[in-house]
Amino acid sequence: MLVAAVRNSLRNLRISAKRDVHTTIKADTAGGSAAIISKLPDDPNGLFREPRQVWVENLDTVEENKLGIIELHPDVFAAQPRIDIIQENVEWQRKYRYVSFAHTKTRAEVRGGGRKPWPQKGLGRARHGSIRSPLFRGGGVAHGPRSPTTHFYMLPFFTRVHGLTSTLSVKLAQDDLHIVNDLAIPSSDPKYLQELIEKRNWGPSVLIVDEDDLCPENISAASSGIAYVNLMPVYGLNVYSMLKHNTLVLTMSAVEKITERLLFQLRRSDGFKKMEKFKLDQ
Amino acid sequence: MACSVFRGPRFISSILRSSRTISGAEITPKIPAIITTTTLQQPLRHSSFRSSPLVRDLQEYPEVEIVRNPPEWKYVERLLRPQTVPIPPKKVETLPSGWKPQRTYDPKSDKYFVRRTKNHMVPVYLMKTYRGMRQVTLIRYVLGDIWALEKDLRKVVEASQDGKVCASRVNEMSGQITFHGDYVDVVKKYLEEQGF
Repeated sequence: MLVAAVRNSLRNLRISAKRDVHTTIKADTAGGSAAIISKLPDDPNGLFREPRQVWVENLDTVEENKLGIIELHPDVFAAQPRIDIIQENVEWQRKYRYVSFAHTKTRAEVRGGGRKPWPQKGLGRARHGSIRSPLFRGGGVAHGPRSPTTHFYMLPFFTRVHGLTSTLSVKLAQDDLHIVNDLAIPSSDPKYLQELIEKRNWGPSVLIVDEDDLCPENISAASSGIAYVNLMPVYGLNVYSMLKHNTLVLTMSAVEKITERLLFQLRRSDGFKKMEKFKLDQ
Repeated sequence: MACSVFRGPRFISSILRSSRTISGAEITPKIPAIITTTTLQQPLRHSSFRSSPLVRDLQEYPEVEIVRNPPEWKYVERLLRPQTVPIPPKKVETLPSGWKPQRTYDPKSDKYFVRRTKNHMVPVYLMKTYRGMRQVTLIRYVLGDIWALEKDLRKVVEASQDGKVCASRVNEMSGQITFHGDYVDVVKKYLEEQGF
């Protein structure tokens, strides 16, 4: 009973920990169309926080329509652009999955060489015990690469968190971050997406991030044929992919989820536990 | 020997520490539902997941009733640690620790701003290397014109040692300033006076 109640309440606590939830209202503009205005709550202490305002675009027409403005949290989207942390993240992402298969044989593994090639003394030649010693042509290799060599390691937890905030901030500062209201597009034709990307100058490669891993059918079908347009859920967001793609497109729900999760990580009270050494068997 | 290390929340184990040990044979259906199905014994040292008992037939375990929002839950909540660092009040009376909240940021007049840490402390540290022979004062989280802050801090630091020139380093990319020597108290006091 209590275990279930604990779990339940922790879930509630997590929800109540969201103190930076956007309030989205649809305001009527002078033109008669409804504009989305998504605001962050007021900063209770009025500290160094100027929300970044970004246009919300649409995807259902090739031409860009500005649907409204969303305020982005400065701790996530206007963090210090730490290029050193970004580099550490990229290096980690390349290395942790890399296994080197370079391989050489030692003198014990090369075939033959069990017999002493010539007597120790009396011939005037150098002393040798095996024709497969590293000194010999065709002999084994001393200290050569051995397969498989893993390069797995874990980057410290908060270096990974700051990598995400830094990269998101860099993307926003370089005008490579676009917010769309949702991923609804009218056709499943890849040409539609290609035209849209061409028209909006979104660069050759585009990473589209939604909150969930179930995307609408049309955009899934349209992007599956184009190698340089990729879809990703929020839980898959990573530094390497963000840098690999020229443009990052976030849906509004993705922005909310990213903001909530990253702010939680930046403010969590048990951060020291996350900084412990990574253990494989725990 | 069937034994397991109880890894649940600490307060549950503290509730249960005085209760009797339950093994499979002793289980009666009238056991208070507060007791979990885990076999509770003294934790084994050097134990691993392999020393946990295997899951048996579910009917061998006591019946568990799931209650949503029980009235006693507020007492449990009191014991739980907040998940995120709480936001301090904007105005506090003088505290014994001397802690004061940070002043608000004014984008018109502030050339620079020193952010507080996650735990609302002033980010000034003493870094010791070479067995404490090299002491460096580190100021982190500087936003805005870091060079202007370095100029202002330099005056304060040099005044504290009768105008003797002090070596410093500014890392604009990471927003950090270092001063050679231990000036943590001087710098902290100055920053707190400025309201950071």
